Amino acid sequence: MSDATPSAEPRPAPWLRSFAADEARAWMFVAKSLLAMYGGAWLAMQLHLEQPSTTMITVGIVMHPQSGMVLAKSFYRAIGTVAGSLAGLLLISTFPQQREVFLLGLSLWITLCASGAVLYRNFMAYGFVLAGYTAAIVALPVVGNPLAGFESAQMRVSEVLLGILVAGVVSDVVFPERLRAVLRRSAHAQFDRFFAFLRDSLAGSLPQTRMEEVNLEFVRAAVQLEDLRASVIFEDPEVRARSSHLRLLNQRYMAAATTFQSLHHLLNRLQRQGQTEVVNALTALYQPLREALTLPARARNPSGLLAQRLERFRHTLAQNVAAQRQALAQPSGSLEFATGAALLQRLAAELHDYARTDDALRAGVIRTEQERVRFHRSNDWSDIGLTGLRTFLTMTVLSVFWILSGWSFGATTMLLATVFSGLLASSPNPVSAVLKTLYGFAAGMLVAALVEFRMLPMGDSFPFLVAATLPFLLLGPYLSTRPQFVGFGSGYTISVLLNLGLRQPMLYNPEVYFNNALSQLGGLAAAAAAFMLLPGQVSLSRQLRRLRQLVATAASARLEGLVWQFETRLRDLVQQAVVHTPAGSAQSRILMAWSLAVQESGRTLIELRHDLAAGTLPDEARARTEAAIGAIDRLYRMPDSSHWQQADAAVNAAIAAMPEGPARNHLYQIHSALHDTESPLFGPLPIPVPNPTHAT
Amino acid sequence: MPREIDLFGVLVPGLLVIFFGGLAATALIDGLLGRLGGYRHVWHPALFRLAVLVVVFTTAALLLF
Repeated sequence: MSDATPSAEPRPAPWLRSFAADEARAWMFVAKSLLAMYGGAWLAMQLHLEQPSTTMITVGIVMHPQSGMVLAKSFYRAIGTVAGSLAGLLLISTFPQQREVFLLGLSLWITLCASGAVLYRNFMAYGFVLAGYTAAIVALPVVGNPLAGFESAQMRVSEVLLGILVAGVVSDVVFPERLRAVLRRSAHAQFDRFFAFLRDSLAGSLPQTRMEEVNLEFVRAAVQLEDLRASVIFEDPEVRARSSHLRLLNQRYMAAATTFQSLHHLLNRLQRQGQTEVVNALTALYQPLREALTLPARARNPSGLLAQRLERFRHTLAQNVAAQRQALAQPSGSLEFATGAALLQRLAAELHDYARTDDALRAGVIRTEQERVRFHRSNDWSDIGLTGLRTFLTMTVLSVFWILSGWSFGATTMLLATVFSGLLASSPNPVSAVLKTLYGFAAGMLVAALVEFRMLPMGDSFPFLVAATLPFLLLGPYLSTRPQFVGFGSGYTISVLLNLGLRQPMLYNPEVYFNNALSQLGGLAAAAAAFMLLPGQVSLSRQLRRLRQLVATAASARLEGLVWQFETRLRDLVQQAVVHTPAGSAQSRILMAWSLAVQESGRTLIELRHDLAAGTLPDEARARTEAAIGAIDRLYRMPDSSHWQQADAAVNAAIAAMPEGPARNHLYQIHSALHDTESPLFGPLPIPVPNPTHAT
Repeated sequence: MPREIDLFGVLVPGLLVIFFGGLAATALIDGLLGRLGGYRHVWHPALFRLAVLVVVFTTAALLLF
């Protein structure tokens, strides 16, 4: 080393340390994967199962560095395998002689499962896909010999369940890497980032683009937390016990984020309208909040402290509102002021709830009485139909090809096409995902040929098998830990195991081998072709329509639990749409602008309906308000200038008829949102707006 | 306890039935312990969980067979 630093102990550079930590983590995963694979294979051989390779493939598929992921995936894989085997058995026993009807029935079952998978997220979707293609795995190989169907199903179930058991035990018990830590970290990061952003943005004004970016970040955090929670409950019984508490935390976070952005937009609009006096009065009101949120560095219990301070802030806020109202000279700004103050009070209450929930979670309170909430997902029927159609067409075309060509390996082509068109349907870019897997498969196939025909014939014991395959199998799990090689790595692993096809007794048959290998590549190529011909991408205008539809939900659905339903559905939808739009593009900006508009208007409509439901309003005001809600609903269904004018007139009439109170504030907020020049709704502009007029 | 149990015409090993019963019992114990915070006193919760399953399953198998 030429660099002569005078330090006594040479410490490794930070990049070296992080590199070493990263490599250690990756190799630990490789070691665990291999341990589980060979352990599973050995057990399968001891138990005289037909194809130990299935057990190994199962291990290869469910293995993940974090044990919560493995357990969650295993759980749904077990259910999917059992359901799929039963379906396959039923099909083969119902139509043992009619090849065409059998294949049609199989296609229908798989289509049904693939469509069902679109309805769910996480590994639940995986379970559905699996139930579909397991039926094919069980039934296709025995189509010429239906009597072997039961045996085939039984073997498949035993091999897969054995693999799941081994993978689960190894990943959970041997140096486990806990997903729970990730969950805790991201919940804390979400909390800290949210409050830090609040603190900083209260100091000055915020450009609209920044607000959109931050909103997107908040949406991602909310969806990610829910996804993590769904996996961690399998790993940690304590998290499972607190699962609904975590959901509540997430909901409160979303509610507070919505209220914050509503307040922010209201202030911006007032500023633009030149109502400086009102803005100053409101700014004076929320200044103490900024101080309350500024915690001393290294606070020991940040959320507890925040909760205390927010409670104090809420108390003083009520007095300050009265004082500022008195000080406000002109009566013309009183409605604007009252609306802003009410929003601020709601924000304070929601922040307080959020901080308290977080505090209870950090303190590790398990049994708490609280409301049960759900994370609602948003699904598009066209998406489900499209996935179903794609699966059905792929299956049918390949069935016909198989029957007409008489190629006895056509079944494998069908199988692989089904498996991967189901598994990769939900990935952001299915074509490239399939192609990456295809390259992995091709590489694995050559390696497996080398091992099977050059090395395996030299020995005949289990240790020899391990020694011959280990150097090649290492590569797959290692590549899976690198984000850019995930698809290639898993394709490679599956391909090596599948083509090696450990069975009892082993076969030495190059002809079968290469036929199989070719048919696998054909299957993958067919899946890629299916994704190219019928891409799952939903157009932007359709996504915007679905987004705006949420306002209709807010305007008419049953009120009970509607806030939670609205907030979660909105996040899920935005997250789905964002996956398909390039970051920072005009499309993504339109999407975010609409999502903010829907967020504010929808939430305010719900609050307004709560005011109506309280039932203390005069009849005329109630009727006018209901008319206004209907008009807003129509406007969001079909945003054009005539609907905008109707909505504006209806809201103004409702404000005129409404006595002072929360309902009037909410109506004013809707009015203000209607007149927001930065909103995509503004003016008679048709939809979609390529670039909202923007004062830069 | 018979060695094999007739389930809709399919002969299922008795041990398998006991194993699934053991899984269910372990899940119950697991949920209860998690709810009561018992896992905070355990060094390696996953290993503990596995051990509970083994104990429950072998006890039932030895008693019933």
